[in-house]
Amino acid sequence: MRIYEVFLKREGKDEFRHAGSLEAADDELAVLLARETYLRRAEGDQLWLVDRAHVVTAEPGFIEPNADKPHRHNDGSLVADHRKAQRERERG
Amino acid sequence: MIVVEGAREHLLAFADDEHLMGQQHTEWIGVAPFLEEDLAFSSIAQDELGHAAALYELLGDPDDLAFGRDGDEYRSCHLVELPCVDWADALARHWLYDLAEAHRWEALAGSSEPEVAALVARASREEDYHRRHASVLMARMLAAGGDPANRVANAIERLLPVADAIWEPVAGEAAALDAGVVTESSATMREPWRAEVAAIAGPLDWASLEPPDQAARTRRSEHFAPLRARITEVFALDPTANW
Repeated sequence: MRIYEVFLKREGKDEFRHAGSLEAADDELAVLLARETYLRRAEGDQLWLVDRAHVVTAEPGFIEPNADKPHRHNDGSLVADHRKAQRERERG
Repeated sequence: MIVVEGAREHLLAFADDEHLMGQQHTEWIGVAPFLEEDLAFSSIAQDELGHAAALYELLGDPDDLAFGRDGDEYRSCHLVELPCVDWADALARHWLYDLAEAHRWEALAGSSEPEVAALVARASREEDYHRRHASVLMARMLAAGGDPANRVANAIERLLPVADAIWEPVAGEAAALDAGVVTESSATMREPWRAEVAAIAGPLDWASLEPPDQAARTRRSEHFAPLRARITEVFALDPTANW
């Protein structure tokens, strides 16, 4: 048996979203089983199934070094405060 | 309401098959080999019960027809009365039955009764799924070799005589054909069905099959009484209740 990751998308601008996973012997059976496992109540209009073996991943240790860079988490508040102060100065 | 007596009997036989097939499939809810298959198989069971209800509605009160008759008033084939406690048997029966069911709906598509013809579109959409599910699974099991292949091959061999008897018509079939309520005889539909079965299962010796004693679908098998007792258990608590 293989494990497939299931992605669903509704009509419109919504993106494909991960819905879960399922077990199936091959691609064709995965499609057949996905319909009744994830689309019983018309949860999506489009379906992607990805064999988990084909998913490209990175080691946690490789991703981790970016966790301690708060300067990359700019929410714009420094610039906003600066501009606000400037407006107030100009107004006198 | 369908009036031609033979047509009523023909549709009743189909409804009874759908009803009992659906009931039998529901036995696998929660115990199918894996979760995804459990969901697919119980959806199929639900579809079959829906087909039965729709057909019964054309003939009278669905509850009365489904639960309120004596055994000799049923027109089911023995295949749908059979208990299948092994998954290989349940799968083989699902496959043999749904390959046949597709032909039976097709034979109603051009029915002279508009209410009958109207049911076909919905049922056929659902049947496409049933047939694909059954055929793909069956082909994979046979291709797997070893124990899985042996188990399903043995199940097919065991079920074949009783499955082939799906095509034993009711006495009223000729009248149903004359009235145009159904447009293909059971005998005509049997040939393409046998070819489809053989296409996946390999060559089969049809001539030597010993058919069950169904007496034009008026005789129930030994398995009917316990099945009927089980499926009417809740209904019998209060036959006048509204569910």
